[in-house]
Amino acid sequence: MSAAAPPASAFEGTSREIAFTCDEQGALTWLDARAEAVLGAAVGTRLVELAARGTEAKVERFLRERLAADDAPRPEPWEVVLRLSGQTTVLALRARRYAPGGLAVTASLVPADYAEAVGQVSGHLSEMATLHREAERQERELRRRHEELLRLQAEREESFRAVLTLHREIGEKDDSLRRAGEVKSRLVANVSHEFRTPLNSILGLTRLLLDRTDGDLTPEQETQLGFVRQSAEALYALVNDLLDLSKMEAGKVGLRVEPVSVAALFASLRGMLRPLANKPDVELVVDPGTVDATLDTDTGKIGQILRNLVANALKFTDRGEVRVSAELGTRGKEPVVRFLVKDTGVGIAPDDQPRVFEEFFQVEGHAERGPGTGLGLSLARHLAERLGGALELASTLGEGSTFTLEVPVHHPEARELDSLRERSRVLAPGNKAVLVVEDDRQTLFLYEKYLTGSGFQVVPARTLDEARAAMEHAPPAAIVLDIMLDGEASWSFLRDLKMDPRTRDIPTLVVTVTNREDHARALGADEFWLKPIEKEWLLAKLRQLARRGPVDTVLVIDDDEVSRYLLAKSLEGTTYRVLEASDGAEGVRLARELAPQVIFLDFVMPNTSAFDVLDDLKRDPVTRGIPVIIHTSKNLASDERSRLEREASAILSKQSLSREIAIARIREALDKHGLRGGEQGKENAG
Amino acid sequence: MPPAVLDTPSTAPRDAAPATPALAARYLDALVAGDRREAFRIVLDEGLGRGVSVKNLHLDVIQPAQREVGRLWEENLLSVAEEHLATAISQLVMAHLYPHLPRRPANGRRVVVACVEGELHDVGARMGADFLEMAGYEVRFLGANVPTDSLVDLVVRERPDALGLSVVLRDHAPAALEVVAQAREALGSELAVLLGGPGVDAGLAAAAGASVFGARADELVDAFDAALGGRP
Repeated sequence: MSAAAPPASAFEGTSREIAFTCDEQGALTWLDARAEAVLGAAVGTRLVELAARGTEAKVERFLRERLAADDAPRPEPWEVVLRLSGQTTVLALRARRYAPGGLAVTASLVPADYAEAVGQVSGHLSEMATLHREAERQERELRRRHEELLRLQAEREESFRAVLTLHREIGEKDDSLRRAGEVKSRLVANVSHEFRTPLNSILGLTRLLLDRTDGDLTPEQETQLGFVRQSAEALYALVNDLLDLSKMEAGKVGLRVEPVSVAALFASLRGMLRPLANKPDVELVVDPGTVDATLDTDTGKIGQILRNLVANALKFTDRGEVRVSAELGTRGKEPVVRFLVKDTGVGIAPDDQPRVFEEFFQVEGHAERGPGTGLGLSLARHLAERLGGALELASTLGEGSTFTLEVPVHHPEARELDSLRERSRVLAPGNKAVLVVEDDRQTLFLYEKYLTGSGFQVVPARTLDEARAAMEHAPPAAIVLDIMLDGEASWSFLRDLKMDPRTRDIPTLVVTVTNREDHARALGADEFWLKPIEKEWLLAKLRQLARRGPVDTVLVIDDDEVSRYLLAKSLEGTTYRVLEASDGAEGVRLARELAPQVIFLDFVMPNTSAFDVLDDLKRDPVTRGIPVIIHTSKNLASDERSRLEREASAILSKQSLSREIAIARIREALDKHGLRGGEQGKENAG
Repeated sequence: MPPAVLDTPSTAPRDAAPATPALAARYLDALVAGDRREAFRIVLDEGLGRGVSVKNLHLDVIQPAQREVGRLWEENLLSVAEEHLATAISQLVMAHLYPHLPRRPANGRRVVVACVEGELHDVGARMGADFLEMAGYEVRFLGANVPTDSLVDLVVRERPDALGLSVVLRDHAPAALEVVAQAREALGSELAVLLGGPGVDAGLAAAAGASVFGARADELVDAFDAALGGRP
């Protein structure tokens, strides 16, 4: 039996086993053909060199243990990892000593097959574990962001609360500052006022003495009196400036806006400024040039400002000229006029320029140039702002200064007030007139703003005369009276108002800057309030007072108590006040005494007919004009109806009474008589 | 640098917690027997549930048991299949511990941890990633056998503060060198690289221009802290 040995490849793919031998050192001593092919090694190669890096120890251990082991019928297999053709491959080795120091080894490739499968499974598993980890991580990240958002939100809420608190604190500070400012203004105003009276006396008395009314004076006495007069005049000027300034700060400076041409303004300025020019080497030039325009502003204030500027310029100019000129320009779209006061005087250093407008600021070394109140420029700037304009300074030290007063051609408030007046002439339907006596335009606008949409309408009066004229025109539903700085006239106005039977019932709210509540109440004020006015208070008081006022009185003449009750009930909560009379005679008496705006008259009453009552009412001039609404449950005969239609304003059947109808009929009746619905019409009755 | 002490106080008093060597021995038995449920019970119920910290479970139970599995294979007492099964069980156990990691506040550092291409042994890398997370790092753990291209792409995209590569078998060192070379080419030399695992020695680390990290997961945290210049 012999055959040629088959090539190793003949077993390729069918055999999973190879065989080789090695010596004590683990060097290969013989390999079968397949072992040569699979291991890719030759005789002499050490087995441990084939081991995958890191697993050499196990190969060495295998050799050591097998060389020392007893022969066993079937030795234990050892799984080792070899690196074969670049691949780590698991082989199961079984070895037996066949000679001293020699090992015969059979290696099975089967473990490589299952190791690969197991490896793949555990690879997938590890991948899943990694994915799981990643999912966890992302969830944690989401949670973290969520918490971050919550934290941010909480922080935002906190800072929001902090801002609120801050706002409240600022508000409180603001209030206390305003109060302090008001106290200061009031103090300055009062003190200045108290100063003026004795100063007037001093000035008057010195004039008398200087005029030699009481005999001649020695030259020495004349000089002394001159000093007295000079000092008194300086003091007087200071007090006046102070007073102006405090008025300005209190927003109490009224404007008298009227149209004037630039040319005319300069003509009057020339006359006014000439007496100021008293230096031989300084020429005062007041020349508008070719500028001409018609200004709509307070020329008195412009004169006051320019006088201050010119006096100032003359004081600091020793030679050369002080020139007052004008030019036209625009600020934004607004046309403006600029008045320039240019001098060739000492000039003002850049550092001092902003400060010269401060109260009582004096440039160093300028004090010896003569007396000044220290208020002139400050006042001038305030006035300029009050005119809606500005006062600026340009100056070079040693060369001179130019003050520029810029004012809008049309004073904005003038336009607004005109339109407010215009609006107040026509009372919107359902609105009540509130006469507001207040000299400050701004405050008038404020009142108008507060009362918008409230059912009240401002009739502005900036002087007491205007107020009286407005009252003559149409008595208002209420009066808001601002006690002006010159208080006495205002108090008298209030006293007269409350003494006159025609006006005493008009509710009057007194508003002041100083607490004079007792005084106001004593003179008959219905309400008192310390400035500044508050919208809520104003509206509440007006509603409360105007309702109980005499404005909308309705007289019901009806013998039936239930009818009277029903009518009163339907008008409950409206502005109408219901007076009741249970028979004709009482009705006529009440009508005479209280002059209601409308009378509801029952057609059928015991002992009296509606016609008798109508006749009585027509006979008396006080009651003649009061519209009468016949209120009846009777079906009227045609002659009755036609007569009633002639003599009464409306006929209202008792069955159809409702709140809406009652109010509508009252309005119609008032309209028919030429009175506006809901408005006072008392003069027609009288 | 102080070691990262992350043990959170547990509800159970410390002395009532079972001794970790005993747990480790029983855990190894469960691994060798391929008893997944028992392994879970030991780590989660008897360990975590009774106050053993996650860190201790990692360092004193799972890691020694895994080492022992390797030794048993080397001594021919475990087959390759049994070793794989044991490792799979440990991976699942760690996945269950992961949500319980006690974490320091974030330190603002982002790191990527991965096993290089061909490297299938990811238990060590996973444990390292867990420890870094506990220390406050933001960790992207990519798992075993990450193809070089994907790994480099991700690193370039994420621009982490540090890259940690695990090499268990020395044969995978070239893949690690390749990743480091490509990542540095794209991002410059500022990228801190740390190599770890039994397959890494000083020579490989020097070749990669990397710090080496230790055999223990807590030493790894120290190595990262040092490489990134301490905690910001």
